[in-house]
Amino acid sequence: MSGDDTIPTWEEVARDHGRRIYAFAYRLTGNAHDANDLVQEVLIRVRRGLRSYRPGSFEGWLWRITRNAFLDEVRRRGRRPTVPLPEGDLGHMGSSPDPDAELSRTRLGEEVQAALLDLPYEFREAVVLCDVVGLTYDEIAESVGIPIGTVRSRIHRGRRLLKELLD
Amino acid sequence: MHPRELISAHLDGELDPVAEARVAAHLESCPACAAELEDVAAARQSIRSLPEPPGAAGALAGARRGSRGVRRWAVAVTAAAATAALAGAVALGPGVADAPFDLDALVEQHTARVVLDPGISTLRGPMGGP
Repeated sequence: MSGDDTIPTWEEVARDHGRRIYAFAYRLTGNAHDANDLVQEVLIRVRRGLRSYRPGSFEGWLWRITRNAFLDEVRRRGRRPTVPLPEGDLGHMGSSPDPDAELSRTRLGEEVQAALLDLPYEFREAVVLCDVVGLTYDEIAESVGIPIGTVRSRIHRGRRLLKELLD
Repeated sequence: MHPRELISAHLDGELDPVAEARVAAHLESCPACAAELEDVAAARQSIRSLPEPPGAAGALAGARRGSRGVRRWAVAVTAAAATAALAGAVALGPGVADAPFDLDALVEQHTARVVLDPGISTLRGPMGGP
């Protein structure tokens, strides 16, 4: 993790945060191809942005870039979403000692992913930043550019709606 | 009054001490809010239990390749631009060859092309939101 008084190199950002950026993108879009593209776009923007980066809230800076890249892609495409494919979630089933348990866990993961995609975007984004990426409420407020009260509300309403969708 | 929208913040330890004490006391005496706490805690747990999504390694390897690719591309463009600038200087006379070569702008163009190309067709975005 980069401290507040150092400027990380691009390689450090890619190494230390790449997986979280990918997880963010995957959980927001539901598919690996889009997540893959987004990671590359974010890392390109990070590399450009690091030239003018000044030590401060690195997490807020990084995730503001990440979500802006995501939203730019969405706007540019301007398309209605489609139902995502399950992707490789089934890929490691064969090696499980208990295929039934593995299958039910995989199905549960797919159900949670599908429910996430059914959330209104603002709720989905807040929930993913909190529960997948692991940002604090302050960091989410800074990344998204909303007051902390709105962060609280979006996370709470997102989780409540997710629970309803999963029941 | 039910502090409904503070319940997740309570769960995440994101309330200041005064609000935390108020919400905790309320949850002790309000079955409806206690039930809501259980609901959001279950949702939170289901998201936090998700496995690492498939394909991360490939994406990161791709990003590293992409980084090198941009550099290779930039070298190629530099060479091509030098050739073009020379041709332009010959064809158009003085001035063209003196124009500053803006590598950053070219890399940005390349980035735009890369981003435009792959065809992300299934992004779900804010257009579905409230």
